[in-house]
Amino acid sequence: MGDFKIIAVDDSPTMRRIIVNTLKRAGYDQVIEATDGKDALAKMKVDKVNFVITDWNMPEMDGMAFVTALRATDEFKSLPVLMVTTRSVKEDIVEAMKAGVNNYIVKPFTPETLKAKIDQVLAG
Amino acid sequence: MTLSKSLQDTIQKEIASLTQSVNGLVENLHRMKSPLVESHDKVPQATNQLDKISQQTEAATNRMLDVIERITQREQQIITGLQHIGEEISGQPAARKIDELCELANTNMNEAYAVMDALQFQDITAQQMDHAASLLEEIETKLKNILQTIGADEASLAGQPATAKKVRTYDPHADLFERKTEQAVIDSLFDKSKK
Repeated sequence: MGDFKIIAVDDSPTMRRIIVNTLKRAGYDQVIEATDGKDALAKMKVDKVNFVITDWNMPEMDGMAFVTALRATDEFKSLPVLMVTTRSVKEDIVEAMKAGVNNYIVKPFTPETLKAKIDQVLAG
Repeated sequence: MTLSKSLQDTIQKEIASLTQSVNGLVENLHRMKSPLVESHDKVPQATNQLDKISQQTEAATNRMLDVIERITQREQQIITGLQHIGEEISGQPAARKIDELCELANTNMNEAYAVMDALQFQDITAQQMDHAASLLEEIETKLKNILQTIGADEASLAGQPATAKKVRTYDPHADLFERKTEQAVIDSLFDKSKK
């Protein structure tokens, strides 16, 4: 996928590994990892990222605070964000939508769903 | 003002009865103290046990991921090798066998990936255990407050020195099989928001 770079933000090393493997199978070779929102923001200052996949429940800076921080900047206000989380309560999903998440997947996910959602977000 | 003899007798009886009740209450509280201290001391053991399960499950899951990654890499090499052979012997009867072997290797690879996808359970059960551990920590704090209220001395609570609690981030509804909202409903919420 050329220079297209995805950042996978999740505090679970297992989940990061599964997401990275799933993305590579889908053809996304350039994936960087972050353990929470704070770590992601630091890495995004160094690496230009084209797409964000983020968990919700994380230490230091959770997914909602992270998305809110992204949307508050000119640089990242339009960056595609897909939330991948265990949170499936409708109010949470609406809250994530309001914060600026472009799409939302509940864990456990299938590789097909992940790929479809990335395609959908990229298609606008 | 002097109280009548009968009123004095009644008051004395009431005071004696109240004293007896308070003594009984204090005795009961003292009897409760020991099991409460014991329970208070056991809660962190249960919490630690849950954390240990989480850590060991995560370590085992990562070992499985190592193996799966090695299997899928080897299967990919096998498929590539077979495809080269298939090109070289194209048109010959053995070429069909090569296609069958490629298909088998692909099936193996996909099934290994299916195992990898199933390992997402570890993140979900770790959150469930963090939730349970967090409830236990709440019980521990409440027991400690009760013990301090009924006068348990610091020595009897010293079995568990104050340790820094683990930062727990979890979804209290995390579930491997049940979702509060199905993906189709989530999709329709996002579709509506675009309109």
